[in-house]
Amino acid sequence: MKTKLLFPNQLKLIGWILLVPSTILGILMMFFNFKLMFLDTRVFGIISSEFPNPTSFFCFSKNNITDEIIGILFIIGAILVAFSKENHEDEYIAKIRLESLVWATYVSYFILILCILFVYGTGFFTVMVFNMFTILIFFIIRFHYILYKSNKSLSHEK
Amino acid sequence: MKNNLKVERAIKNITQEELAKLIGVTRQAINSIELNKYVPSTILALKLSRYFNKTVNEIFTLEESDN
Repeated sequence: MKTKLLFPNQLKLIGWILLVPSTILGILMMFFNFKLMFLDTRVFGIISSEFPNPTSFFCFSKNNITDEIIGILFIIGAILVAFSKENHEDEYIAKIRLESLVWATYVSYFILILCILFVYGTGFFTVMVFNMFTILIFFIIRFHYILYKSNKSLSHEK
Repeated sequence: MKNNLKVERAIKNITQEELAKLIGVTRQAINSIELNKYVPSTILALKLSRYFNKTVNEIFTLEESDN
């Protein structure tokens, strides 16, 4: 993987600072209907289809933008955490990075296939919402786990 | 692919950490090469060969399973 595609190492910390609170707020939003009322605003939509209104195009409508803001902050944070260079980026880390990305893609789509088969109705909408973020989440977990494991195997090698 | 990096390192009496620093890679990279878990790039192999003052063939050798 060409390192020029990665962000500088310093941005990783900013990534974590964005990712952790947006994850917590995101979970509150999904399961406890968390919403910031002052974020009720007029938004411009290319497509706007809010039940029971008919679908309309290129129009303004009223919306609470808590979910939009949390979603965008989460994606930016996760991208920065996932694709910022490590303190000491080398070809071995690049290999772990690539493998983790392939692994995360497989796992994410495997789970999606299971959900397509076994989740019906509005439950599937929830699945789709989570599925937007799973590749990044699985990648971050796998990548850091392998880094941690290879760090640990160092302790008993001289 | 096998390698005798660990032996070469012992001869030079240099730790993984020191070697990694000199070559410009992580200690994990050196460690996983020694454990045969990672095949280094040609560039890294050549850098190791330059450091130990041996040819790449003397450090790395093909095995049956590579055929």
